[in-house]
Amino acid sequence: MSEAQDLLGRPLTDTEQKLMAAYETLKALLDEDLGPSERANVAEALAALWQTVNNLALTDDRPEV
Amino acid sequence: MSVSPYWNPKTETLSRDELQALQAHRLRKAVERAMATSVFHKRLFDEAGVGPDDIRTADDIVKLPFTTREAWMENQSSHPPFGEMAAVPSAESIRYHTTSGTSGRTPLRVLDTRTDWKWVAEMWCYGFHGFGVRPVDKVFFAFSYGTFIGFWGAHYGTEKMGCLVLPSGNMSTPNRVQLIDDLGATVVCATPTYALRLGQEAENMGLDLRGGSVERLILSGEPAGSIPASKRMIETQWGAKACDTAGMTEIGTIMMFECEHQPGGTHIIEDHFIEEVIDPETGEPLGYGEQGERVVTSFGRTAIPLIRYRSRDLVIKVPHTNCSCGRTFDVYDGGIRGRVDDMLLVRGTNVYPMAIEAIVREYPAVDEFQIYLWTRDGIRDEIAVRCEVRAGFEDQWNAVAQRLQSDLSHNIEGLGIKVELAEAGSLPRFELKAKRVKDDRVVKGASHV
Repeated sequence: MSEAQDLLGRPLTDTEQKLMAAYETLKALLDEDLGPSERANVAEALAALWQTVNNLALTDDRPEV
Repeated sequence: MSVSPYWNPKTETLSRDELQALQAHRLRKAVERAMATSVFHKRLFDEAGVGPDDIRTADDIVKLPFTTREAWMENQSSHPPFGEMAAVPSAESIRYHTTSGTSGRTPLRVLDTRTDWKWVAEMWCYGFHGFGVRPVDKVFFAFSYGTFIGFWGAHYGTEKMGCLVLPSGNMSTPNRVQLIDDLGATVVCATPTYALRLGQEAENMGLDLRGGSVERLILSGEPAGSIPASKRMIETQWGAKACDTAGMTEIGTIMMFECEHQPGGTHIIEDHFIEEVIDPETGEPLGYGEQGERVVTSFGRTAIPLIRYRSRDLVIKVPHTNCSCGRTFDVYDGGIRGRVDDMLLVRGTNVYPMAIEAIVREYPAVDEFQIYLWTRDGIRDEIAVRCEVRAGFEDQWNAVAQRLQSDLSHNIEGLGIKVELAEAGSLPRFELKAKRVKDDRVVKGASHV
């Protein structure tokens, strides 16, 4: 498996890998059958976390929540 | 643990080559998204025969067509209420804001998704943190919280940073001064003019700002934040450091900020924007040190993509090395220096002569008019509409003037616009293009926020 890299081609640091994992987890959660409170708060958290993974140039993905 | 002086150390200190590579990547993605989601952009790029595959470097941006406010407004008028530029349905958005009206009374309407809105706040964090604001600060907003976007993003940004946010909504000036003093605000956000107004009021109330709690002022909405004399006046009055920022409703946030090193200008947030400087007449790119029109491309907002948007703001870009802070973001020397077109900036509000004319012309009692601007007490912009009364309407004038004044204020973001009676035949008449604006202000021109 190839080493994960940011948009600049640099390998992800440990912290960056954890941030990406948290981001992917939140994103996947939105595909589940969530109640109104869960959906709204996960969406808020995902939009907030995206700011950091985007700032760090870890992904060019963008959640539309 | 020491706190970084940068909000985002990783990208604020990238080498210029890496920064430009990141910009190229994000530009390609922005074009791809805009073509997939915005009818306006798909048509624009198809007509120009360009697409994401044409973007290999940041310099390839010149292959893309410009976007203009006129085209945006025209499209919004023909496809109300949000136009074809909107890339998401309004039901998927969470915020609605507007710009000032230009021709007629219709302003530009902008939408933000949840992700966009958090990004709007994020951009303000670059500026606040870069100017030394920290979670322990108490941040006061002299802002009315209306549909005009102004300091909305700054409010949410400082809240996210962990500051104590002190909103003042529609409070009077003395009440605001009292609140700043009572709660020991350490940061005040205002337009430069209003910062001075607050300072004068404090003096009237016998409060000593210089010995008070405020350490920093975050200024936006007018060019005075980077005009050395005005900035000096504000900093002396408050005994605090003043930071210039500039943004625009079309973007939703700031795209430049002054750092703590105060280099005499504002850093461009270049990991989230590409800012070009062009000759406003020919559209040709200009180099460092040359004054021209700034053209902005934003990577952050998806509900309304903005690619190569002609701002009409006049700027001079200089290399990042002009500042000693260590950021690799280039600087607009002197911030925003003025406007290419005739938009007037009055106390932080965009005023378009055509919008005033559209309102005045609804009053048959007005025969001729002139928009007159002057500087009161050396600092405060004032605006009046001088009117000549049409013969036969003289008896109704007082009531008409009152209604017109209220109508103007209501339609131009609550701005106080005086209506004055001019002597019959005293105002200039025109045979060709009318020039109904008389601007006697000491400082003219503007940015948008």
